[in-house]
Amino acid sequence: MFEMRGITKDFDAVKALKGASLSVRPGEIRSLLGANGSGKSTLVKVLAGLVKPDGGEVFIDGKPVRIRTSYDSKQLGIATAFQDLSLIPTMTVIDNIKLNKETVGHFGTIDVKKDRRDVEELLKLFRVRCDLDAYAQTLMPSTQSMLEVAKAVYAKPRLLLLDEVTATLHHDEIEGLFELLRKLRDEGTAIVYVTHRMKEVAKLCDSATIMRNGETVAELARDELNDLDGIVYHMTGKVPDKAKACGAQAAAAEGEALLEVSGLKYSPKVRDLSLTAYKGEILGIGGLDGQGQSEFIRLLLGEFQPEAGAIRYRGKEVRFRRPAEAVENGIGFISGERNREAIFPLRTIAENLFVGRTATGGLFKFIGNRRVNGFAREAVEKYNIKVGELEDPASSLSGGNQQKLIVARWIAVMPELLLLDDPTKGVDIASRREIHQILRQCAQKGMTVVVSSSDNDELMDLADRIYVFYEGRVQALLSCEDKTQERLVAEMMGFAEKEERANG
Amino acid sequence: MAEAIRRRWGHFRRQPVFTGFCLFMAVLALNIIIQTPAKFFTVSNFRILLSKNMPLILTCLGQSVLMMCGVLDLSTGIQLAFVNVIAIMLPQELGVPVGLGWACALTGGVLISLFCGFCIVKLRLPALLTTFSITYIIKGVNVLIMGEPQGKVEKIIYKTYDSVLFGFLPFAALILLAVLLIWQYIKRTRYGRHMYAVGNNPRNAYAVGINPERVQMKAFLIKGFIVGLAGLCLTASNASGNPLQAEEYGIRSLSACMLGGMNFGGWGTLSCGLFGAGFLVIVQNAVYYLFNFLTKAIQGLMINSYWQNLVSDTIIFLGLLATIITAKAQRETLKQGFVKQLKRGEKYGG
Repeated sequence: MFEMRGITKDFDAVKALKGASLSVRPGEIRSLLGANGSGKSTLVKVLAGLVKPDGGEVFIDGKPVRIRTSYDSKQLGIATAFQDLSLIPTMTVIDNIKLNKETVGHFGTIDVKKDRRDVEELLKLFRVRCDLDAYAQTLMPSTQSMLEVAKAVYAKPRLLLLDEVTATLHHDEIEGLFELLRKLRDEGTAIVYVTHRMKEVAKLCDSATIMRNGETVAELARDELNDLDGIVYHMTGKVPDKAKACGAQAAAAEGEALLEVSGLKYSPKVRDLSLTAYKGEILGIGGLDGQGQSEFIRLLLGEFQPEAGAIRYRGKEVRFRRPAEAVENGIGFISGERNREAIFPLRTIAENLFVGRTATGGLFKFIGNRRVNGFAREAVEKYNIKVGELEDPASSLSGGNQQKLIVARWIAVMPELLLLDDPTKGVDIASRREIHQILRQCAQKGMTVVVSSSDNDELMDLADRIYVFYEGRVQALLSCEDKTQERLVAEMMGFAEKEERANG
Repeated sequence: MAEAIRRRWGHFRRQPVFTGFCLFMAVLALNIIIQTPAKFFTVSNFRILLSKNMPLILTCLGQSVLMMCGVLDLSTGIQLAFVNVIAIMLPQELGVPVGLGWACALTGGVLISLFCGFCIVKLRLPALLTTFSITYIIKGVNVLIMGEPQGKVEKIIYKTYDSVLFGFLPFAALILLAVLLIWQYIKRTRYGRHMYAVGNNPRNAYAVGINPERVQMKAFLIKGFIVGLAGLCLTASNASGNPLQAEEYGIRSLSACMLGGMNFGGWGTLSCGLFGAGFLVIVQNAVYYLFNFLTKAIQGLMINSYWQNLVSDTIIFLGLLATIITAKAQRETLKQGFVKQLKRGEKYGG
């Protein structure tokens, strides 16, 4: 019996876990469910010894234990298959699976033959066919995922943690894997299974724990797993309405299309994306993490080059080779990763504001200090952005104000199409509201705003229409009465059947 | 049979050492042609080549052990001088028996390497900058101990070092073989596997229960031992002490490892370091003989050593370009590896 009680963990200001609990018995497959950022992965990492919790207790068979390092976790009989894999790309299949579990033969050297036999046997069990001496980086993503699971199972754990391992697997591979997991369960292994795919839960799991905002909100038994509405209710805290059909007529009434994307492909994340953005609307892009949203934005911007598909912008087919070209053509880009992609922390606030304008001018054009500051002051007043002294470095601002700065930088150059990738990630509620207000004003003036967000409330609040991405495709288009929180969550999880799929 | 050979060749082509091996073979062939085979394949030629260059070769091997674990040490070169200074000064100033003095020098080399390791691994300071500044610290210490080049080594030592055993095996080659043998053992232990894992992805290595810090510290220990040996070889080969010599070996060993196909992050073997070092040594040798030939062929041609360096370093530069271009897949990891050396290390399990 494994039990976690009252686990808390803060990452700086973000509370990832607020008294989460989880328990799993030997011979049970328990699924761990929750929306983005509900703390599932963090909880798994606590058990794996990769994250040290700030508070709470872990019990094994009623006895309290401490997991300080991943080594402790191994010693307690816990093995983990990670979502982002833990294979070493430059090591062979054998070395990867046997890593830190090598058989020691004569004089402290590794018994290579026994290792090979062991791995052969293991992979036969998993029905994985690959060259045992191939480097992990040369294998297909699905094979790598299978190896990740195989590696964890090989440790013969008492508790097996599987964090979204089926994301890259094919249908028949999943079937084989489930068979194996059921066998392990019958042999008395406790299994925690994290997934976003509800069908898998109903098929495989015996029970479920649902998390919301870092808390455990519900424990479901076997017969409750088929009740999707119930699960969505626990995940969102709201009762879902039955989805109503809403035709595309609302969208068509909007008027002139500024951006039309069809069949966009960029392996592996973007498979087939088509959508339309109309002039003066705020278009939302929703979905779970990593369903191709940020790749899509960067494809529009010309940072990535699509493998297939067409982008029509202002009625012409375009293909930007680099972001600079896109910016010259009236596209702005605001990233939520402000430290990595937006802010120049050591330069002044004024310079940070002005930099969007420089991108459209000539390379050797003279820029005076007065012009920069004048421009910045005007922008600050016009958009009511409360910043400190214009001459202070941008790093002196708080995260929320830095983000407002980025927004102002682009708004001030009045792009025709503004792309936002999770613009309010880690931004406080007041700044967020102000940013939303600015965006709405801009849309009224005719700017087209495409905003991708991992925050459902933000999408509901801001967007006129929402495209929901699922595994690199458009899962649904939500507008008018269709646009409900519950429907959004349901579509994000890929609940809806294919025939219901709306396309833009 | 032919099929088996082809498969082995295909396998070898994908090995990290492949480019290094090709480069080495190319300059070796060039060298043999310039020097004429009759003069190249002599025992005395091999003896001179090996005994003169053994310090550099060993330094490269030490550096490649570090790079396997994803770290580096620029101060490796001046550490050689540190060992050299201790080995000379202990017997000369304090009357310590030579054997004990040299053992102390070797230990000193290990300790100073562990100090570098402590700074990089435990304090998680950026490797490149830290070891660059440590270079100057060690330099200062060297000069404190030994103000100016001086001292001598007993005849028996440098005679032995320069000797040829059984009429074909230079003594220096024996040292190299010993180090390679030890490595062959280490490679086959669990530690050998863990080095690669930590070098490529310390976070994932940590996730399977390996302690990355301990693995990297052990690498500094091994490197300290190899560099200690190199310092003693330097002392025996020069038969005197110099507190400021061999500093450039640090950066040279780094370039040798990269020439040999080594990469930051669990890619490459000790043989990468070996072939890289061989490439450096043979290029210098070949250029020397080339200029010798030119001065004889052209009347009145005056050569100074800078010209030789210009030519040999240009060849090395081209070699580096070749490795980077051929190892296309590795380019990104190489870049990331370098960036890693400029950053503070990460903490795992926080």
